[in-house]
Parts: sequence; structure tokens; C-alpha cells
Amino acid sequence: MMRSLRWIASAALLVGFQPLIAQDVAKPKSTVIYVAEQQTVPAGKKAVVEVHFAVVDGYHVNSHTPKSDFLIPTVLKVQPAAGVTEAAPEYSTGHDFSFAFDSSTKLDVYTGTFTVKLPVVAAAGSHTLDATLHYQACDHAACYPPKSLPLQVLFTAQ
Amino acid sequence: MPVPEGIAMKRSALVVVLLIAGISLMLWAGWHNLRERRLAMQKAQESHVILTPAAPAQGGAQATESNPEPQLRGKAAPAFTLVSLDGKKVSLADYKGRPVLVNFWATWCAPCKLEMPWFEEFRAKYAGQGFEVLGIAEDDAGKDEIAKAAKKLGTTYPILLTDGKVSPAYGGIDYLPESFYINAKGVVVEQTAGLGSKDEIEANIKKAIAATGTTTAGAE
Repeated sequence: MMRSLRWIASAALLVGFQPLIAQDVAKPKSTVIYVAEQQTVPAGKKAVVEVHFAVVDGYHVNSHTPKSDFLIPTVLKVQPAAGVTEAAPEYSTGHDFSFAFDSSTKLDVYTGTFTVKLPVVAAAGSHTLDATLHYQACDHAACYPPKSLPLQVLFTAQ
Repeated sequence: MPVPEGIAMKRSALVVVLLIAGISLMLWAGWHNLRERRLAMQKAQESHVILTPAAPAQGGAQATESNPEPQLRGKAAPAFTLVSLDGKKVSLADYKGRPVLVNFWATWCAPCKLEMPWFEEFRAKYAGQGFEVLGIAEDDAGKDEIAKAAKKLGTTYPILLTDGKVSPAYGGIDYLPESFYINAKGVVVEQTAGLGSKDEIEANIKKAIAATGTTTAGAE
């Protein structure tokens, strides 16, 4: 419950600052923002750590399962960490998007917020997972080179 | 004749129900109308943004994320020699005397792939004026993958592999597609970033041709 509230608060804060981001920074360094939060999971049991991201307003990134082989999918790579056993990440489903000049081509993208779920079994204590989100963003008319967003996922198992 | 109390109550209830239904219908119609107007406004704004990229020279184009302030317009196009997909060395200087569209693209760039078939079409349409397209793949993908994408798009114009030096020479290609319309004298007459409309692309090609003159010179 607390985790959900924290996520809602983070998302609301981010949404609140979106116009500032769009206006003040003509070309953001990152079009995807990691919404960091502290999470708690039960120790020694199968649990899920959620990793939340927000796509800056006016942009989209390919989902984990874009509809073309040529498009670069969003992928979260997590480094192994002591005391944590991980399974393959589970990604949010994307939604359809078409460029105005070609409504027949449907892309599968993330906009707004999206979540990657990390199934873990962790020993009791605090853990830090080093991870990198690989993504490729576009706006309504142009695409930006693929980027890597390094991040740390913090959680406590108790 | 007095109306029995039961019937009067039923009438009143019916009137109330009809009133509520009427008000609900009006509220719904108002909400629906507002929603439609918002959607129409949103669509119009989207179209406005998309249909006015890189406005031509009068007074200078307004810089936006997808349409930066043109840096090379009116300047000599930076020279380059790159290797094509079929292994040939291709220089911009090879096309001196001809209008050329230099287009930066990548396999992962969906808007790029929308306009490439248009380039192909215009290349055929303006072949008589010596018009040529050079596609430069700003891509980490391997040569085979680039070739596969180009084939799938039906491009027959030369696709060149970047050397990492050509994009800085063209002002740094931060996003794709970016196009440079070069006249026969080797001068950039227009520079665009992001997907434009087919009409705008043709207008820019015509501008490069007009600046060239009507003769076909310096054929391959």
C-alpha cells in the first residue's frame, strides 16, 4: 500500500513537472526518467520489485516488443547481486502509435509511465541492483539514437 | 373531475423522471460536444506542429526540437567520401553540377523509413534534371542489416555507410531523419530535421533544382 502511494506520489510529481521539463529543456538528455523508490519485499520468498519509468511528455519509446525487427526494444539489463536471485524481467504492454503521415503503420510504444517487474528471491537485508535501461525514443516526427540509462534499484528484504 | 391521488403521484413521478432524463441528456450532449471539440483541437494542433517543420528562409525558421535553426543553409555542403553498400567509394564531389539530396537515416528510425520511398519516387520524377539522392546510414547496425532494410524499402539510390565523421561535419546529427538539399554549385539550399510532408520534400527538391538550372551536368 505504502509502495503504491509512493509510486502515485512520484508519478504525480513527475507529471506536475512535465511542462517545466518540456519548456525549459529544449532537448532533454534523457527522454526516459527513472522514478527511484525504496521498496520492501518478504525475505527468502518469491517477490516482485517494480521498476518505474516515465517518458518525457511529447516522446515515445519502443515497447519491449516493437512490431518490427528493425526497431530497438526497451530492455532492462540487471547486474547479478549477492543475496539476490532474479528471474527474467516482465515488461508493461505497449500501446499502438502511428505517425501522422502514415496511419497504416502501427508501432508498439510506451508513453507516460511504464513499469518493469523484477521477480526476485532475496536474503534478508538491504539490496542494491545495478541496472541499465536500453531504449530508443522518438517524438512526433524524429527519432533519437538509442540510449542507455544507468540506474540503481534499492530494496529491502525483511 | 378530481384526479385520484395515486394517478397524480404517478404523473408527478413521471414528470420528475422525464426532467432528470432531459437534464442528463443535455449534460451528456454538452460533455460529448466538449470532448469532440477538444479532440478536434488536439488533432488540429498536432497537424499544425507536424505540417510546419523547417519553414523556409523568409525571416529564418523557428528553432524547435525537430526543426533546429538551419546551420548550413547558404553554405557549401561539407565534402565526404563514404563506402556504399556495394563497396564503392562515393564522394559528394562526384555529383558536382547536379542537385543532390543528402539524407541521414537509420534502420531503427520509423519516420526515416516513411520518407525514403518518397525520395525514390522523386528521384525518378526529377531524373531529367540530374537529381540524385544519397542516403547516409547513421547506424550501428551491420552492413547486412542496413542492406536488408534498404531493400525492403525499395531504395535504389546509393546508400552510404557512415564513417562517424560526416555527421559532425553536417552540424552533428542528433536525431533522424535529417536532410540537406544541395544545388549544382554544392551549396545547401535547404536543411530539414524530422519528418516533413511529401509536398514539402518535393518543394525543397524543386528549390535545389531551380538553384541548379535546367541542364543536366556531371552525370555519373
